[in-house]
This record gives sequence, C-alpha cells and structure tokens, in this order.
Amino acid sequence: MKTALPGCAWRIFSVFLRHKKCYTKHLFANGFPPFIEPLLFLAAIGFGLGKYVDTINGVPYSQYIAPGLLASTAMYTSTFELTYAAYIRMEFEKIYDAILSTPIGIKDAFLGEILWAGAKGFFFSSAVLIVITLFGLVKSPFGLLAPFVGFLTGVSFGSMALVVTSYVKDINNFNFYITGCCTPMFFLSGIIIPLDQLPEGLRVLSFFIPLTHCVNLMRELILGSFHMSGIIDLVWLMLFIPVAVSCAIYRIRKRLIV
Amino acid sequence: MTRTPVIEACGLTKQFNSFTAVDGIDFSIFDSECFGFLGPNGAGKTTTMKMIYCLSPRSSGELSIMGMDPERQPVAIKSMIGVVPQDNNLDPELTVAENLVVYSRFFGIPRKVYKERIEELLEFMSLDKKRNARIKELSGGMKRRLALVRALLNKPRILILDEPTTGLDPQVRHLIWEKLRQLKLSGVTMLLTTHYMEEASQICDRLVIMHEGKILLKGNPHQLVQEHTPNYVMEFSFNGCMVRPEKLAEKYACHIEIYGNRCFVYADSEPVLNQIRTDTKIDTRIIRTSNLEDLFLRLTGRGLHE
Repeated sequence: MKTALPGCAWRIFSVFLRHKKCYTKHLFANGFPPFIEPLLFLAAIGFGLGKYVDTINGVPYSQYIAPGLLASTAMYTSTFELTYAAYIRMEFEKIYDAILSTPIGIKDAFLGEILWAGAKGFFFSSAVLIVITLFGLVKSPFGLLAPFVGFLTGVSFGSMALVVTSYVKDINNFNFYITGCCTPMFFLSGIIIPLDQLPEGLRVLSFFIPLTHCVNLMRELILGSFHMSGIIDLVWLMLFIPVAVSCAIYRIRKRLIV
Repeated sequence: MTRTPVIEACGLTKQFNSFTAVDGIDFSIFDSECFGFLGPNGAGKTTTMKMIYCLSPRSSGELSIMGMDPERQPVAIKSMIGVVPQDNNLDPELTVAENLVVYSRFFGIPRKVYKERIEELLEFMSLDKKRNARIKELSGGMKRRLALVRALLNKPRILILDEPTTGLDPQVRHLIWEKLRQLKLSGVTMLLTTHYMEEASQICDRLVIMHEGKILLKGNPHQLVQEHTPNYVMEFSFNGCMVRPEKLAEKYACHIEIYGNRCFVYADSEPVLNQIRTDTKIDTRIIRTSNLEDLFLRLTGRGLHE
C-alpha cells in the first residue's frame, strides 16, 4: 500500500502536535506558572513598590508594568522551551534522531519547534492578560490582540534560543545566556524602567533588543495609546523574525547533520 | 533472472574531518532479502545505515535507494523506510500508544488507518497489554519490541535494524528473529548491522564483513565460512601443555591461531584433529565445526579495535 507523501505544512504541524501532546498531558502543572507569576510580580512590584513611584507618563505604576509582563513571560517560556528542553530532547532523549528518521527533515522539525515556542508565547501572554484584566489594568479592547504579540515574542526568542542551543556542549552553559542575556534584556526593554530614564548608551542599546519592541506593542494595545513608533516596532520585529528563524535553522542543521 | 537492486552503493565514502568512517564501499541489496553488515565497533556500519536513511550526507560516491538520491528525495525515501536505531530513542514523555500515534503523524498516516495498525502491530509484538504503560516502565526487551513496532507503522519496504538484539536476553532475541523472518517472508527488504555472528547466520541471506570502513568479504554466510575457513576447529589452552604450535602446523599441515594462552587449530577433517589430540595428549574436548565467528575473527583480528 502506498500512502501519499506528507506535505511540508503537515510535517511541521505534526512536530508541533508532538509538543502539544507532551505539554497538555500535565496541563495543570504546566498551566499553573503563567497565572501565578504575574500575580506575585504585580503584588510585589506593581502594588508594593508602586506606592513609592509617581505615575509614569500619566499612568499608575502597576498599570505601566502590567503590559510588559505579557512580553517577558512569552520571552521566558519560549527561551526555556528551546534551550533546556530542546537540549534535553536533543542530547539525552535523542528525540530528534527519531523524528528525523521519519519523513520529517531538519527544517520541518525546527520550524515545528519555533511554531510551538510561538504558541507557548501566545498562551502564556493570554494567561497574564486574564490576570491583569481581573485587576482592571487593561484599558483598551485592542488588548485582546496582545497574545498575538506574545506569539511574535515567542517566535523571536525561540529562534534566538535555538541558535544558542546549537552551540552549547554542556547543559549548564545555558546559564550564561539566561543570566547574561535574558535578564539584562528584561531590565533594558522598558518593562519596569521607562526607556527615556535610561542613560543615552543603554537607550540606544535597547532599540536593538527584540523584547523592547514586543513590550512597546503590548503597552500600546493594552493601554490603547497608539503612537507612530508602534509601526517601527512592528516593522522591526517583522524584519528580525525571518533573520532569526533562518539563523536558527542554519545553525541547528550544522549541529545535527554531520 | 536479473534483479534490480533496491539499494545500490558505489564507492560510498563518509569522512568526518580527517577521519574516514566509510571508505569507498560497494554493495547492492535486492528486493526481499536480508542483508547484514558485520564488523567490530567503529567499522562504519552505523554510518552506512545513516547515509541510507538520509540522516547523514555522503562525502563522495554514489548511493541510490529505490532509484532515488537520498540528498534530493529524502522525504520520499524516508516514507518507505522503517528504522530501528541502536538506542531505541523512544519518547519518554509519552506512553506506548502515544509514541505510536505521534510517530504515525510524522508519516502523514490518516487517523483511521493508524488506529487500526497500531493495535495490529502491538499484538504482533505481544505488547498489547502495555498500551498505556509509560516508556520507563518497560523492560529492555519491551522497548526494543516497541522500537520495532514503531519502525513498522508506515509499512516500510526497507527495514533498517541497527544492532536489533544487542543487550537482550535469549528469549527476546529469538522472538525478534522469529518476527524478522516473518517480515522477510512478507516481502520486506531488511538491512541489519550486528556483531553477533549467530544473529547474522540465523537471518541474513547475504552479508558483508566490514573493518575500518572497508568491506573485507561479501556473500552468503554459510558459503563464506565454507570458502574461507577450514571445516573444523580444535581449541585448547596452553596450561600444562608442552606442545609447540609451530611444530604442529608443520607436522600436520594445519592452520593455527593463538590468542593469549588459547590455541585454535584449524583443519578440513575431524579425524586429523582427533589424531593431533591423541598424538600430543592435548587435554581438550572442544573439536567443533568452524563458524562465522571464526571467519570474522580471522579477518578482523582477535585484538580490540578501540
């Protein structure tokens, strides 16, 4: 019997389905963090520290930081998915060896991974959106579009993480990337410190951090305060994503196909 | 009758930087045969398999799989191949049945078809009671059988088995051999790597013996043994034995190999060996027909290769 060859879109999607299956098996345990973490963060920083901070650009501090949390949660979930988790699948579980001996090729497998990272960005930012909506911190119905920015954040950071993973020879080395790159990005992207308060050099640097643009877009949608600069943010991401995805596929192919 | 080969390699070579893992090998594998790759660890068997199932691009030479080039048509080739890799690489986050569902989707098999096929194959490999078990609850033999089930989901024309029974107990080994014989009868072409000579003589129609990336010999296992080694072997230890082996070889015109303090005397007839035993008062009960392992060790040497 001969079955039709699986098409490219299906091949990518079948890898996505594998991850979805693993994730939803432990839905409660896996779904818990994105709801609880923003609660803790808002309580400690937003409402706690916020007492000592004046309004920022006419917005109370808790409301100022809330949109950024959607972006940072999407960044972290996609980063962990394609650093530690992908490394475990690659080196310890040898899942990719199994996947690649089916009709799935390198490009299919890792576009599936990146798509999954984007989906996790979408769901995690949706969870945060629900939490901050309950606190009355969403000011515009355009906020409903915020999870799509979460998707773009997930795709961007998933691709970057994959590039890092392609170089890593020991799982502990991810600490350098998480602490050395992701944490500074968190502080320099305008989530908790407004960009115009940063020194000149750091402000310029922040423009080259993808998270900055994700945060800007989130804030515009959730607070309903649109500026022309929003277009720049969107264009920036649209130019960055294809480059990041291509680099990720190129690098991981070099690592896995010898 | 001229048969067109299912897999054909000509001057197939694989280099990793300056190391040559596979060094210009030629072979043809025909429809419904079981073809073995024998060799010590590091002989280039697994690398050859990986080139065939499109996981590793060749460095030079020709390789054709069902008339297709693995570099140009990997999707078409891989959809007709089933692979049982050396390390089972089953998905530990999923159950037995979930593993098979996820894997079926990679081949684009429709839901209705795979649901039925999974049940059929689980039964075929006596795993139907383990349907909902987690991978880490399975024994080594069950994992291997599951890897075989997984490799059969797409009804492959070519089944690639990389050391299918390494590390398994005799019951499971015989069960797997039995299943492989059934599959061969149903027309599946099989490629097998192994360093168990018994496995090779049990199920391979033809085989090659590889060493350091090259093919040393190819042919039917029984014919190879007949053509390349004397029919009988006597084994004995030197402990308390005053025989000088070189004297024996000269006097009885037989072939002698020594490994450590163990001596192997090869001759074409059993009476000759009996005669030697009586004449020299060697204390041994081991006079046996020579086998593939004798041939293998003669070709690849008795020392370690690592």
